[in-house]
Amino acid sequence: MAAAERGAARPTGDNRTSRRRRRRCREHSLRTSGLAPRALPGQSARARGSGAERGPRRSAGIRCVAYNNQSNRLAVSRTDGTVEIYNLSANYFQEKFFPGHESRATEALCWAKGQRLFSAGLNGEIIEYDLQALNIKYAMDAFGGPIWSMAASPSGSQLLIGCEDGSVKLFQIIPDKIQFERNFDRQKSRILSLSWHPSGTHIAAGSIDYISVFDVKSGSAIHKMLVDRQYMNVSKRKCIIWGVAFLSDGTVISVDSAGKVQFWDSATGTLVKNHLIANADVQSIAVSDQEDSFVVGTAEGTIFHFQLVSVTSSSSEKQWVRTKPFQHHTHDVRTVAHSPTALISGGTDTHLVIRPLMEKVEVKNYDAALRKITFPHRRLISCSKKRQLLLFQFSHHLDLWRLGSTVATGKHGDTLPLSKDADHLLHLKTKGPENIICSCISPCGSWIAYSTASRFFLYRLNYEHDSISLQRVSKMPAFLRSALQILFSEDSTKLFVASNQGSLHVIRLLEGSFKHLHTFQPQSGTVESMCLLAVSPDGNWLAASGTSAGVHVYNVKRLKLHCTVPAYNFPVTALAIAPNTNNLVIAHSDQQIFEYSIPDKQYTEWSRTVQKQGFHHLWLQRDTPITHISFHPKRPMYILVHDAYMFCIIDKSLPLPNDKTLLYNPLPPTNESDVIRRRTAHAFKISKIYKPLLFMDLLDERTLVAVERPLDDIIAQLPPPIKKKKFGT
Amino acid sequence: MGPLRPRASRAPASAMVDESQPTSEEAAEHGLLLWQPSSSAAAEPLEEGDQGDEEFDDEAPEELTFASAQAEAREEERRVRETARRDKTLLKEKRKRREELFIEQKKRKLLPDSILEKLTTVSQTNIKKSPGKLKEVNLQKKNEECEKGSDSKKAKVQKVQSVSQNENSRQQAAKAFIQKSLYGPGTNRTTVNKFLSLDNKRLPVKKAAAQFLNNGWGTQKKQNAKRFKKRWMVRKMKNF
Repeated sequence: MAAAERGAARPTGDNRTSRRRRRRCREHSLRTSGLAPRALPGQSARARGSGAERGPRRSAGIRCVAYNNQSNRLAVSRTDGTVEIYNLSANYFQEKFFPGHESRATEALCWAKGQRLFSAGLNGEIIEYDLQALNIKYAMDAFGGPIWSMAASPSGSQLLIGCEDGSVKLFQIIPDKIQFERNFDRQKSRILSLSWHPSGTHIAAGSIDYISVFDVKSGSAIHKMLVDRQYMNVSKRKCIIWGVAFLSDGTVISVDSAGKVQFWDSATGTLVKNHLIANADVQSIAVSDQEDSFVVGTAEGTIFHFQLVSVTSSSSEKQWVRTKPFQHHTHDVRTVAHSPTALISGGTDTHLVIRPLMEKVEVKNYDAALRKITFPHRRLISCSKKRQLLLFQFSHHLDLWRLGSTVATGKHGDTLPLSKDADHLLHLKTKGPENIICSCISPCGSWIAYSTASRFFLYRLNYEHDSISLQRVSKMPAFLRSALQILFSEDSTKLFVASNQGSLHVIRLLEGSFKHLHTFQPQSGTVESMCLLAVSPDGNWLAASGTSAGVHVYNVKRLKLHCTVPAYNFPVTALAIAPNTNNLVIAHSDQQIFEYSIPDKQYTEWSRTVQKQGFHHLWLQRDTPITHISFHPKRPMYILVHDAYMFCIIDKSLPLPNDKTLLYNPLPPTNESDVIRRRTAHAFKISKIYKPLLFMDLLDERTLVAVERPLDDIIAQLPPPIKKKKFGT
Repeated sequence: MGPLRPRASRAPASAMVDESQPTSEEAAEHGLLLWQPSSSAAAEPLEEGDQGDEEFDDEAPEELTFASAQAEAREEERRVRETARRDKTLLKEKRKRREELFIEQKKRKLLPDSILEKLTTVSQTNIKKSPGKLKEVNLQKKNEECEKGSDSKKAKVQKVQSVSQNENSRQQAAKAFIQKSLYGPGTNRTTVNKFLSLDNKRLPVKKAAAQFLNNGWGTQKKQNAKRFKKRWMVRKMKNF
């Protein structure tokens, strides 16, 4: 992660208040260049030949996506084993995720009847995920070796997997588990892709150099269709059938590593049509429900849209035509999905791209724009304000950095040189193969806590002069494991842990040990999204979100529930409680912000005004959710929010912008009159200087810290892409 | 001329059967004597020797009926088949003998049956995974490596390891397959540096590559130089 070092200008508001501040404040943002390893993995991967030795990866590529029509949700699995659930109707917000595991190399993901999610991978196990308890229900070994593909039957009650040893196994999905039913005829090479016929009577299985069509009832292979290795050419490399799709009229569509899309007739077992669309592998295919369009993804990063169009405008005969190419990725597109209105693709370059199809979208507004999800939708960095420390959470380790400082001064817009460099204080590796779910550092900087799926770790830090020493608190209670969110109180005496069972634990921290104070039992309501916690600076109130019942506010001193903010139909993306006024500020995924007064148990006046007037349309059209809210210690009127591409100071004392005013105020020329400046002044001071932002917080009243993650850094760590020959290079 | 006899050839029987039949037929019917010039010179003794002078008259050669030719051909075929069958059975026997030899040798290396039985029952109760697939093969392999008379506990521990080793090796093989098919030889891949530099090269004012310097070059040398410098400085300071 890189943080930018500049003493640059404050938010480009153009009214008097912000200018006054600019003279007094200095901003510190630091670049810690030692963090991002500059060695490009392309070369090292070739030298070593395996991806596992490349060291800790910051971002994992997308391996599979699965779209669920009934709930409009997308399940995405990454190469490190993480499975994320995106709610496409809640502004494409990532509401839940399951942490990864080193041994779990997921190769297939699918939804079955009743909103059940299954995944299968190279460790030979079928895993079912519990979407309510946010953990893994069970992992069942299929005894076929590594599993390469999995498909749920159209009725949703059967599951088919294709294994390394060439066997196709059928499982019955019963409530609470799955049961092995039978094996189909065993094939000679590994089954890399599977597809059911919509009626559930036949199956197409793609392997290496051939495609087999099975009859489900008898389990025998009816046809074996041999695929050419190269289009009209002789080649030594085997042709790998990366994807197959079975249409209801008996056509089987196959995509393979030679760059061909082929249409086969399953009744006769013959090739009908051949399309050569790429010079590299075509790695994925997804067909829409109406079977009039499908999308394929290639290794060059292009996705192609095929549609069934009539041959002439009046005839009823239709044929498949390649209509649109989209180039939104730089690396292989390993997976695609087709929702009724959009094409979804994901690949090795870690972006999730959702491209709504213009002809399917009813209302042509900003919703029909391309959505590219690159950055996480939750906060992975915590900050200790007193000691100026930042804790970065990676999948297998934590990094603790002390911010540098500068004694130089300058005008706004200047980049000041660091007098003291940022210090990499600690590199804490987690034991075991599991990924870290969440982590936190206490505001005083003396406690670090993090949780994996099976264990909870709490460390005590001691600072002597310039070095630190770490001491682990042993014998953490078992109910703390698999915590979804960890938070320390402001005075660092209490630890709040939200577990995946829905309960909230309060732990008192003593010198070197702890004492379990209380557990707030799970409230009624289903788990909608990951739990977020917020604690008030005076230590009285604790807010927790995540259930369908709304945000609960607990009284920490009396250890009971105080009130519940009314439920809103979009999930909460950020929570914070303001100092002194104890106003709870909630940001939702549809970019709405509410302010709720905890002592009064009602929404504040300002919040009501905002809701009545509504937010500016440009504010509502932002792509990325707000991940962190913070406050100015001396100015209760300020709320500092940020998302991936901007940060904003909301000044509650200023009037709200209506749709006609300019939301992103540029810096006005100094000879502008006061009147104009006052007229264009509004409450939202937005700055887009630092992007892409991962974290931003106010350290004290004069210092702001911002952590950027340049896209180039992400790309520099990815595996090698396909060579593109461009004229002139 | 004497009766013509189809010359027995050394070519494979099936080929010759097809060819010799029509050729003998033809030769018999049309009087085409392929071998005549040489045969007359190095003549095989004719059966009807006393018909010498009369043979050289324009007498039609003796007609060979189709049936007799067919019978000859069949004889040939049968003979060839017999030899083939004999060869096959010989090979089969050889193979069988070798198999038996191997089994004997293996048996000699294995532990006596009683200990094997004990181990299998112990393994079935102790293996974590449900016994689907099996462990008989692994058991035998493991037992070969065990010392004779080793205690069951040691074998137990080793056995679990071998199972997971097997699984692990399959997973490694699967990962290697994916790596090879996507990034192995024959795929048209380029480095990330070159990929990011493509745009730089096409700009109106050409810029350098994205990662122009190779910082990974000579790290050991640089480290040594740094250490040497430190030591040299210390020495210099000491001299003052």
